[in-house]
Amino acid sequence: MSSEPAVQTLPQDALSPQVSATPQRKPSAGRVRVVVCQILILVLFLGLWEVLTGIQWMQKNSIFDPFFISRPSLIAARIWLWLQPGRNSIWPHLAATLYATGLGLGVGVTSGFALGVALAQSKFWARVLNPFIIALNSTPRIAFVPLITMLFGLGFASKVVTSWFVVFFLVFFNTYKGANSVEQELVNFCRTLGGRPMQILWRVRIPTAAAWTFASLPNAISFALIGVVLAEFVGSTTGMGYIMTTSLATLNATDMFASITILSVLGVGLVYLLRAVEARLLHWSAEFRND
Amino acid sequence: MITLNHVSKTYVTKTGEPVKAVGDVSMTVNKGEFVCIVGPSGCGKSTILNMIAGFAAPTSGEIHVDGKRVTVDVPESLGYIFQKDTVLPWYTVRQNVGLGLKFSQAPKGKIDRKIDKLLRLAHLTDCGDAYPHQLSGGMRRRVALCMSLAVDPKVLLLDEPFGALDTHTKTHLHSELLEIWRELGQTIVMITHDLDEAVTLASRVIVLSSPPSHTLLEEVIGIPYPRDVFELRQNPQFTTHIQRVWKVLGNQFRAAA
Repeated sequence: MSSEPAVQTLPQDALSPQVSATPQRKPSAGRVRVVVCQILILVLFLGLWEVLTGIQWMQKNSIFDPFFISRPSLIAARIWLWLQPGRNSIWPHLAATLYATGLGLGVGVTSGFALGVALAQSKFWARVLNPFIIALNSTPRIAFVPLITMLFGLGFASKVVTSWFVVFFLVFFNTYKGANSVEQELVNFCRTLGGRPMQILWRVRIPTAAAWTFASLPNAISFALIGVVLAEFVGSTTGMGYIMTTSLATLNATDMFASITILSVLGVGLVYLLRAVEARLLHWSAEFRND
Repeated sequence: MITLNHVSKTYVTKTGEPVKAVGDVSMTVNKGEFVCIVGPSGCGKSTILNMIAGFAAPTSGEIHVDGKRVTVDVPESLGYIFQKDTVLPWYTVRQNVGLGLKFSQAPKGKIDRKIDKLLRLAHLTDCGDAYPHQLSGGMRRRVALCMSLAVDPKVLLLDEPFGALDTHTKTHLHSELLEIWRELGQTIVMITHDLDEAVTLASRVIVLSSPPSHTLLEEVIGIPYPRDVFELRQNPQFTTHIQRVWKVLGNQFRAAA
């Protein structure tokens, strides 16, 4: 057909590198070469890091000083130690960060989606609220973190509110755009089929908007995680962000790199989880056509 | 029955200039008739269909469908097939076809029987559980047609429904559309830029002028139904009708050029 459904023209998020790492089902010769090169780069990077920080002259005369940048072997050992139960266990901190991220993400996506769909129903209110939304959106959202901490205290509530705050706008904007992208022809067609406005909302507008919402979720996950860690930096006694500020206070580079590694694995894991859910829910969409 | 009584439509463009697309159009489409409207681009063909469906209000004049004046609401039992794809990608073919009946909360058994019947009629029985992205353009057109037919429209408005298809697919769909029309007996108004298509299908072809448009010619196509769309081009009557309509339409094109 001459016109493709709106979902096929979803905005591609250049900002989410995780997406491009999605494995394809049919490995080709080219694909194998790409993976081999990726592994080589990783091995080279970690190998250089490990070897150079082991040379005494380098330690004294360059940045390759384990005190500042640690060493891959030390970091791996630290992560291993953290994963064991006991006094040094990372699990309570990881759980605290993950819990706050999940809650902030859940509330942020739900409220952003609901308001995005709702605002798309009224051209009038969309026009009225437009400048306020633009103002709020163009203010760097992390600027609100100290204020949020002041309002909600040190700890759990601040973390959730921060991650909600950064996720909400992202999801809200995408959903609003998606709900507005429904073609008038499609709505008119459903009217001739006897659809009342509420029925068309449920069966046409919301599914269209949902596809756009999903497109924003990989970024939303990163944002939620960033929000929580930031709130933990500013004021908290648990969580990965807390571990990182503590390691700054004690100048412990190994702890920092170990935390960063765990956070990045966490982020990638969450995005992959999302892709699995998305492939199930949006199997009709062009993006998953060949899956 | 559809009547247009001195209907006009003036648009205001983004720069604020008024553009009179439909000048003064009057026409009557009788019950069970198949009328095709042809005319140069910009003559407001789609606008006329939109006004019949209640999507847009005429600037002046009146439109009646089945004796009722069309205002802002879609007239009852009116089907509309758009040039654009209007199949919902998140539903299977069966769910799409059953959408209208879902809207009116028909019982499930009735919906299923109706879907079965329509899929048979449109030769789609085997694709009931497929999703639209798995179908070809021609099949998606059939699904859109079935979606519309599911709510038993007495009036069908078709806005260049086969414009984007290749000749082969198009000819098959012509044949199927004629079959469906003869079986169900709707009143059909179809817009097309394809004169062959108009003469192939219609019992009457209405030619509109360049904007502001008015009716230039009403050509009754005397070829009896059932028509064999694959043989029709060899029929001398077909050629005569084409020539007669071209004479009028060609002058419009020349004037516009």
